[in-house]
Amino acid sequence: MRSLQHIGPAQVRAVAFITLLTGIIGCTIQDRASGDATTDTAAAPSAAPVAAETIHGITVRDAWARIADSAATGGAYITLVNGNSTPVEIVGAASASADAVEIHETSHHDGMAHMSARPSIVIAPGDSLVMAPGGLHVMLIGLHSALKAGDRVPLVVQLATGDLVPLTIPVRVP
Amino acid sequence: MRGRLSAPARRLGRRLLCIGALVLAACDSGGFKGVSIDPPRDMPAFEFMQAAGSTYSTKPEAGRPMVLFFGYTHCPDVCPTTLADWKRVRAQLGAKADRVRYVFVSVDPDRDTPAVAERYARQYDASFVGVSGDGPTTAKIMEAFGVAAARDETPSANGYMVSHSSQVFLVNDQGRLVALYPFGTTWEALAADLDRIL
Repeated sequence: MRSLQHIGPAQVRAVAFITLLTGIIGCTIQDRASGDATTDTAAAPSAAPVAAETIHGITVRDAWARIADSAATGGAYITLVNGNSTPVEIVGAASASADAVEIHETSHHDGMAHMSARPSIVIAPGDSLVMAPGGLHVMLIGLHSALKAGDRVPLVVQLATGDLVPLTIPVRVP
Repeated sequence: MRGRLSAPARRLGRRLLCIGALVLAACDSGGFKGVSIDPPRDMPAFEFMQAAGSTYSTKPEAGRPMVLFFGYTHCPDVCPTTLADWKRVRAQLGAKADRVRYVFVSVDPDRDTPAVAERYARQYDASFVGVSGDGPTTAKIMEAFGVAAARDETPSANGYMVSHSSQVFLVNDQGRLVALYPFGTTWEALAADLDRIL
């Protein structure tokens, strides 16, 4: 891919150096509140929040998807609370509205945003899996139609047990 | 790909170090809530072909500061989050908002046509400009701003993911880079800085 700058270890170190400088400097950068999702969704003139629902002992909260074009890659965020006495393993997701669905995590280092797939995520008993902008998120790949504010998009979360957690997620204005 | 030190990559490294040094020299001297670049740095202008056949130029316009972000349209998280933040910045600025130029620059021109980049930015706000240049133009503007991007190896139905610099740049109406905002900086900081210089 010629149009992208390919960065090797030396470049990564250079960027890391800058990041370190930036970190040292600190200046007056105002960090986002710890809950990015809260920050991001609070200002959204959105549809009514989705009531929490519990399926297979998992309570789903704060589910929402971003607007996106048809055939594009969309993003969605959900919070899953494991109310079971045993761990729950999330092994994937699917949607009738997209060609494929993957769970990814954005990480930030060296001044850059990196994405990595998370094919398996274990939620300990009583713990929550919180997806939020800039962190864990659901990728809706190859959307069959545009997602517009007020739409609802189906999503099925797949557990390692074979159980499915079906959801319907509202699409919000950014 | 990793470990290959191409000439452009070496130049990029030097540029990044240069920006790092500028940032180091800049702290708290510009009065910005973002990371001030002091002295402000003259940025070259770039021209992008648009889908309708016209060109979009980043050359300065009097009274109109410009914010830039470098991303790609298959990006489901960081890029939309930034554009959504810009939407809030616009709302916060009220009547002043139209004087700001909001520019999304694709670092993935192989997949992002000018039309795709335009649509991607405009779905957030009709005033947002999305551009995707040819390979050389993309490389040059990335080098000028010290922006890096690289395909990730992670297999994905998305084709491929792109790691990319994730800060927002603020260029004043004289064409000078005056501040940058690392991802995670609140949108209120950018809104306050824009409000101050408008």
